[in-house]
Amino acid sequence: MAEEQPIGSILLADCGTVITRAVLLEQVAGRYRFVAHGEALTTTEYPWADVSEGIRHAAEQIEEVTGRRFFEADGDIILPELSGRRGVDIFAATASASQPLEVVLGGLVRDLSLASIQRAAAGTYSLVKAVICRDSSESVNEENIIRTILETTPDVVCLAGGTEGGASAPVLELVNTVTLACSLMDPGVRPQLLYAGNSRLRRQVAKAVKGQAELRVADNVRPALTVENPFSAQAELDALYIQKKMGLMPGIETVSGWCSTPLTPTASAFSRVIHYLWHLGDPTRGVLGIDVGAANTTVVAVFGGLPFLTIHGGVGSAFGGKELLERKGEEAITRWIPASISGKEVFGILANKEMHPASIYQETRELWVEQAVIREAIRAAMELARPGWRTGEAQPYPHLMPLCETIVLSGGALTHAPRPGHVVLMILDALEPIGIATLVLDVHGMIPALGKVATIKPLAMVEVLDSGALVNLATLIVPVGQARRGDLVLRVNVAYDDGSNYDVDVHYGDLEVLPLLPGQEAVLTLRPERNFDVGLGGPGKSGKRRVSGGLAGLIIDARGRPLRLPRQPELRHAQLRQWLWDVGG
Amino acid sequence: MYYPAEIYVTPLTLVRRERVLPAPGEVLVRQGEHVEPLQVVARAELPGSPSIVPVAHLLDVPLARLKKYLRVQPGDTVEQGQSIAKRGFRTVEAPVAGKVKLITRGRVIIETPPVPFELQAYIPGTVTQVVPQYGLAVETTAALIQGVWGGGGAPHYEAWGVLKCVTERNDEPLRAHTVDLSCHGLILVGGAGMNEAVLEQAVTFNVRGLVIGGLAPELVPKVQQSPIPVIAIEGIGATAMSEPAFRLLKTNDGREAAISVRVRPRWPVIRPEVIIPVPATRAPLPQRQTGTPLEVGAKVRLVRAPYMGAVGTVVALPPQPRALDTGALVHGAEVALDGEGPVFVPLVNLEVLR
Repeated sequence: MAEEQPIGSILLADCGTVITRAVLLEQVAGRYRFVAHGEALTTTEYPWADVSEGIRHAAEQIEEVTGRRFFEADGDIILPELSGRRGVDIFAATASASQPLEVVLGGLVRDLSLASIQRAAAGTYSLVKAVICRDSSESVNEENIIRTILETTPDVVCLAGGTEGGASAPVLELVNTVTLACSLMDPGVRPQLLYAGNSRLRRQVAKAVKGQAELRVADNVRPALTVENPFSAQAELDALYIQKKMGLMPGIETVSGWCSTPLTPTASAFSRVIHYLWHLGDPTRGVLGIDVGAANTTVVAVFGGLPFLTIHGGVGSAFGGKELLERKGEEAITRWIPASISGKEVFGILANKEMHPASIYQETRELWVEQAVIREAIRAAMELARPGWRTGEAQPYPHLMPLCETIVLSGGALTHAPRPGHVVLMILDALEPIGIATLVLDVHGMIPALGKVATIKPLAMVEVLDSGALVNLATLIVPVGQARRGDLVLRVNVAYDDGSNYDVDVHYGDLEVLPLLPGQEAVLTLRPERNFDVGLGGPGKSGKRRVSGGLAGLIIDARGRPLRLPRQPELRHAQLRQWLWDVGG
Repeated sequence: MYYPAEIYVTPLTLVRRERVLPAPGEVLVRQGEHVEPLQVVARAELPGSPSIVPVAHLLDVPLARLKKYLRVQPGDTVEQGQSIAKRGFRTVEAPVAGKVKLITRGRVIIETPPVPFELQAYIPGTVTQVVPQYGLAVETTAALIQGVWGGGGAPHYEAWGVLKCVTERNDEPLRAHTVDLSCHGLILVGGAGMNEAVLEQAVTFNVRGLVIGGLAPELVPKVQQSPIPVIAIEGIGATAMSEPAFRLLKTNDGREAAISVRVRPRWPVIRPEVIIPVPATRAPLPQRQTGTPLEVGAKVRLVRAPYMGAVGTVVALPPQPRALDTGALVHGAEVALDGEGPVFVPLVNLEVLR
């Protein structure tokens, strides 16, 4: 058997829609460590039109810091590492810069099969061009369905419907209509058809589609009324995205030539790390990962060992803000801004940002708009993701967030926020977490890279995560219950390792920030009032917890769940300013 | 090293524009041929829309027996109201005129007549590439000014006309009283913004297009509905046009220009633009290096408030990050603006002017 080639240095790149990041890992004293990272504009557009250029630019920044040289004079990467710190042993990459897979979704019932196939499509970078639903009076017409497909010319039509052994005639009718639409299209632009409905109809579906479209089949996304199974359809769509879209990025051949394994979608790699982190913690709780990119917001939730990946495509910190504004109404955005601002002004800021997606706010007013959009982008992604989660015992209150032990935050919009308090407040407002949770920040934007390296050298991911690649942002304590503003809801004793301790009384409506620095630990004794639950086993349950500090300290959010903002603008502005002040924003 | 985004505000460059048909058709010009902006250079027939007639259901016959009642077959041309199937006293008529595209599963699919589509050259110049059935590329030497936002002007989103600068300064808004009968058929250039009355006057006097600095956000929906193509060189907001862009447009007052208001933020980026053709013989084309690192001395446009639309020169690239008013710690450049001392601007908020 051939001896395994030693891997001493690994260069990883993630080509995002706007920013390309490069990360260097090296084996130091027998363990893999994060050494340096670099960032540059993604170069899929003019004047470069070559994604590999952005990787070179980002890697140049690492070269400046480390003195290591990655590229030959002709621009080719040096693989494997040579003497004199030239080159690296392995190069691997992830990407989200390519166009999304354009899909039309079809199902029988909006809240059942259609919702499930929508979540399946959200498991990859996709753009829903149209939705066909048999229970919707406006689109049930066969002619409308055909027109929709002809006009949108999607890459894939995803069809679901019928539980296992359930409905068959309406499903086949839908398949026949879609097939008819395909047959009217030029063969070069015909979409593929992904069937993920009643599996007993597969043979009939194949017969109906034969010769008119390329058929892919996945497990039924809704095998029973109360059961959802998006995983097989997600895998099919992910494979299609890789095959049809990632390969279209200009310069991708160069990057693929450098890689020892095929390029991976960023979200899949991100999901792999969140899944790994779940294995390190309390199995009765979940782990959540939020990645706010320029064009997509990704949510990965792991409960009971099952990862649920949801990408809210087209909505991120730079793109999709205008659509959010239009879809949710200006109030949805302006309610998070601690000053009077019109929807028109918000529109203007978002429109300009979209044309300069890498640019950042220089004025506080624009900062507030961007952070308001991020809150709503996360909320929208959660609305899409949450109905598909199987949370089990991590969900004590059905209408609230499940208990998550760790919440990992990634993406430039979060990691480059001016102050740690800004990130904490955005997450508290957007997610409304409950119980006790640790917020972890991916400051170097390296989680996708680590997810990728796990497929090549799993030990490298484990050791780099162990070595503190992620930074603790805060420990959150969020009591759940109802009270009047100002009522006592929780007594906390904070005991530091040096023996000092103090007591804090937390009142309903408060947002308390207690000092606990990164690297510092403390034992909390939590004594909630009898109708308040801090995640220690139910309302009124007290207990002790050892917690770690973070950049923003220890945060106790007693503002109530669900979070309610004052309706009157002046009061709301004052309240939002107070909360910003509280968290050091 | 930082590799910045780039934008064109240049008095002379080689402009190449690809003209692509939305569906396969016919290219009407040959490589090397000179074309005029309004010349039709390619055409296609866009497919009509399908109309589905559930004949078997309407005649109440099983699919297997339908054939003997049909009066048409695929490829036939039908008129609206023409009988396409008959069983006894029951007759099924074509709901639209068109061609029978397909007969399947008891349905007759009639496609309405194709819609002719003509593609104009957009800019005067030489055809440098022809892709039969699909399109062509036209090249010309021109002044080129790229903007940030564009809207209106459907369905072509382009226009060709004589430029007329109606303001004296780059920070002066376009006013309604300056848009009169003398502006008929012209592309008007204003310094800063405009109001709704300007747009109405422009429609009344059949103005070909409007080029301004910044567009007020409340006017965006109105512009998008307007037949007049409008370019906001600096984007959305009450912003003066950058001095170099205004000066270049003013210099070319009275010359013919092409404008396009198409905007696409990615895949690929498409910016609205003003192209002012310049005789090729006037001067040699300057050599331009693109995609290079930002350097001291570079001329840059600033893209975010409070300096949105300002143009200046990079005078220093501090190695250490600095804090902005928002508290963000960023790498930036010191940029000397006209009439002001250097200001610190995040690198990502700069575009190099080419």
